[in-house]
Amino acid sequence: MKAIKAAILAAALGLAAQQAAADDYPVDTVTLVTHSSVGGGSDVFLRELAKYLGPKLGANVIVENVKGGSGANAMARLVASPADGSVFYATTPTFIYTSLLSNPEATYKDLEPLVNVFSDPEVIYTAAGSDFKSLKDVVAKAKESRGTWGAANPASLERQLLERLKTAAGVEAAIVTHEGGGDMMINVLNGTLDIGVGEVQELQSQLEAKQVRILATFTADRIATQPDVPTVKESGYDVVARKFRGLAGPKGLPENVIAAWEKAIPELLEDPDYKAAYTAANLRPEFIPHDEYVTFIDEFGTDTAKFLKDSGVIE
Amino acid sequence: MAMFSQALDVLLTTPAVFFAIIGVAWGILGGALPGLSPSITMALLLPFTYSLDPASAIVLLAATYIGAEYGGSIPAILIRTPGTNAAAATVIDGFEMNRQGKAGLALGISLYSGVIGSLIGLVMLVALSEPLSAVALSFRPPSYFALGILGLSVIASLSGGSLVKGLIAAVLGLMVATIGTDPVTGGNRFTFGTADLLAGVEPVLIMVGLFAVSELFVQTAEQGGQIRVESRARIEFPGIALARRLVPAQIIGSIIGTFEGVMPGAGGTVASFMSYNEARRWSRHKEEFGNGSPEGVAAPETANNTVAATAIIPLLSFGIPGSNSTAVLLGGFLIHGITVGPMIFVKSASTVYGLYGGMLVASIALLFIGMAMMGPCIWLVNRPRAYLNAFILALIFSGVFSIHQSLFDLVLVLIAGVVGFAMRMLKFPFLPTVLGLVLGYLIESNYRRSLVLSGGDHSIFLEDPIAVGFLAVAAVFVIGSLLQPALAAWRSRRRGEIRDVRG
Repeated sequence: MKAIKAAILAAALGLAAQQAAADDYPVDTVTLVTHSSVGGGSDVFLRELAKYLGPKLGANVIVENVKGGSGANAMARLVASPADGSVFYATTPTFIYTSLLSNPEATYKDLEPLVNVFSDPEVIYTAAGSDFKSLKDVVAKAKESRGTWGAANPASLERQLLERLKTAAGVEAAIVTHEGGGDMMINVLNGTLDIGVGEVQELQSQLEAKQVRILATFTADRIATQPDVPTVKESGYDVVARKFRGLAGPKGLPENVIAAWEKAIPELLEDPDYKAAYTAANLRPEFIPHDEYVTFIDEFGTDTAKFLKDSGVIE
Repeated sequence: MAMFSQALDVLLTTPAVFFAIIGVAWGILGGALPGLSPSITMALLLPFTYSLDPASAIVLLAATYIGAEYGGSIPAILIRTPGTNAAAATVIDGFEMNRQGKAGLALGISLYSGVIGSLIGLVMLVALSEPLSAVALSFRPPSYFALGILGLSVIASLSGGSLVKGLIAAVLGLMVATIGTDPVTGGNRFTFGTADLLAGVEPVLIMVGLFAVSELFVQTAEQGGQIRVESRARIEFPGIALARRLVPAQIIGSIIGTFEGVMPGAGGTVASFMSYNEARRWSRHKEEFGNGSPEGVAAPETANNTVAATAIIPLLSFGIPGSNSTAVLLGGFLIHGITVGPMIFVKSASTVYGLYGGMLVASIALLFIGMAMMGPCIWLVNRPRAYLNAFILALIFSGVFSIHQSLFDLVLVLIAGVVGFAMRMLKFPFLPTVLGLVLGYLIESNYRRSLVLSGGDHSIFLEDPIAVGFLAVAAVFVIGSLLQPALAAWRSRRRGEIRDVRG
């Protein structure tokens, strides 16, 4: 009897706490901005998130697509918005690359990272029929003849990782850039490229069809769904990366807004329905709290700027 | 057989048939509005597909694509403004037929050629999905480079009078194609510090400016009475003799449409220009091309509707969208959690077969919906010029604005319009500019990518058999069209001599 009473009390308190959180959130409607078009990667991520986030946060959550300029327009929209927790932007490495490459009026430095939600593992893959059994084989080939390594886009995390791998392995490989992952996939499948770099979820259908094989991952630890695949670091080359998916807002976000998100996102990631949805979409949760995320984005920006300068893309 | 029963099952148990018809009607409208490309017309529907079942959603989008590829020819014929990029080739002879009072016939030819193209494309999609996707796989960067060069070689015979002017116009297009992100280094080129130019200039903006806005300028500049187009207010299908004459052009259109559809990046625009060109090359009535040839309407309109079906082949078998329209279609699949790629035939077979069935319904519905919407369209063109021009300008601007809600795009369209006006005055052809713009990036990126692969060694282009084949065909085209005037002169002189002897 006592136990039941306690349970009821706890439930009531929990409800009250939730109610309080709902009342605490300073605005009624939260707009999540993305530069990707309807149906694109970040758009799907946000729409799925918005569906489950509303009740947890205690506000209506809507998604707005601000296209153009690879995120430059979306960043300008954010900077012009009030820092009251009503507008956030879906961050991926793209927003840092755009900031550094094209000098838009508003850059990532004008925004305040909020929290990180997911991280997409970047992996090295090869055609299923190729002779490469490990990353060592790939490097060995690059040592004796001309290695051909593919990255989806010229100014991208993928290319940065390959340049770093090239330096770490001390080889001269041709790093071939493309106009997107699909374009590169053909060149991996037909043997033009030794290896390609991409996100696991982009490879999903080719993996299921056993057309490609993953050789190594750029993650810090092995990924759960591919337990037999070593990390690049285990293979002997110290290159690790996190392709982040999180949120950022205008500068000067209030404490209570940050606290509300730091509470809502970890809860949301545990929500069984949402978990089923994002697991099916091959997203891997990686919550990073506010303070840590600010430092992380800052370091990511500094590293990227250095890479872009070293490779001669920017001055 | 399982395929047919599954397709039938989807058609009977879901509202896919209804959405196929809605899609065609919406597609014709969107295609007919200059500035709304098929991909934009489809993208406008995307938000509505969230709540549909997967098969209906995909069918709705694919049917819109089919409708839009036909709809683009309506303004091309009636007001000399291609409603879609792929209808640009239809302008040449379609508008000429209109001027000769045969608008109803031109529209009828376009409509039934579109239906034939859609049906042939669908047959290709169903039957050749796997073998053709193997061809796409053997395309390496040098092959794509050569494909682009082959496309450019068409300029030699598209230039009308002066080859030099044609080449200048083409270079203009190639120059615009270099604006944006460098394909190899990722640096910015010619963006003048504007974020709006980062992603490059969208061909549709330049096309709308060159074709539509400059036409409005020319009409405004014309003094005195307007030439009123006496269009018959009824759609007219060709008689048996003419229909028979159109068959070779339609076969050429569907063959080229099939190939271009399968190759990512080529798309309906290249297909319609190439088939226009080939139809002229093989025609018995070459002299009519440019002067209102019915074949000049049938070939590109068959081709672009064939592409609307065959462009789905690389999407289904590799998950690779070869064009903006198929990228939107991919978005439709993703919304419903379907991974597009080799496994789709195993995991979501019923959706794929439902798509086939829905496209069949849409192709047939195109004939009837196209006829039903023809009357209002022809009525529209006979309104007083001043009102009509104002209406077209409003349509162009609202259509262009709806793409990115960008004022910058409107400025680009106006600039392109002014450039187009100057080109018209100086008698430069537009088509090479458009080809340069469409193919420039494909050629440059694959040329440089090939050299990165080979470490700067140009022999990579000779080691790729597909590239060698394409380059050889391109060389034959260029030399052939250069020799043609000389050959024609020689022939007519000989004929003259024979006559002299007889006389």
